[in-house]
Amino acid sequence: MASQILPLELIDRCIGSRIWVIMKSDREFTGTLLGFDDFVNMVLEDVTEYETTPQGKKKTKLAQTLLNGNNICMLIPGSAGPDT
Amino acid sequence: MDPSSGIQEPFDLIRLSLSERVFVKLRGDRELTGILHAYDGHMNLILSDVEETIMIVDVEGAPDGRGTVNVAKRKMEMLFVRGDGVILVSPPSRT
Amino acid sequence: MDETTPPPPPPESEQLPPPPTHTGSPTDFLKGVVGKRVIVRLTSGVDYRGVLSCLDGYMNIALEQTEEHVNGVVTNRYGDAFIRGNNVLYISAAEAL
Repeated sequence: MASQILPLELIDRCIGSRIWVIMKSDREFTGTLLGFDDFVNMVLEDVTEYETTPQGKKKTKLAQTLLNGNNICMLIPGSAGPDT
Repeated sequence: MDPSSGIQEPFDLIRLSLSERVFVKLRGDRELTGILHAYDGHMNLILSDVEETIMIVDVEGAPDGRGTVNVAKRKMEMLFVRGDGVILVSPPSRT
Repeated sequence: MDETTPPPPPPESEQLPPPPTHTGSPTDFLKGVVGKRVIVRLTSGVDYRGVLSCLDGYMNIALEQTEEHVNGVVTNRYGDAFIRGNNVLYISAAEAL
């Protein structure tokens, strides 16, 4: 009861740092977290998108991006992502 | 926001297309063109004089290509489209 | 601490300042990106590149000068396009904000 921390408080502490986002599908993102809202829609900067397709893995670089919270599965704070 | 076209919110684009022929892209590789008669906030649509195009991709058919695409077309006089299937609506060009 | 405030102690929530200095929220991003070139990717993997006219709270989007890209190939062009928000995976700035 005393030191209850809400999940979104943890994410709030990640603002300004790198974060690894794993979607419900075979898709992942890394980027610097600039902000988010109650739906966990996230604004990321210096983004890399990782796709697993039948043709293999595909990486896409993106500038500032608003990621829809609807399809997010997991968030890993402070991680540089699948390449590490 | 956009003084040139007078669009403040996305639904304005649809409102300005009432009674016009619109292109609608649906889930399941379906496309429609038809006259837009009505819409609501779910993007439920009423279209008339509709032509539906269905893309049928046959992955088995081709040796090592991307598969062959068969296109089926059919016409419908009047149609209700459930909004959750809608991906994109494009009004006629107003340029 | 100096208790100079009148009797009712302010509830704890009031002491937390409103989301303070950082201006990186989704709303701020969207304000900055309207009128700019964007890439809208749908969950299906299809991309729409165009100028963002406007959007709403459902992420319904109106795009101008829209190009549809499938696997890096332009498959369609639309003067205007309404994209239903539930299909949107992300909106990414395609020019400097």
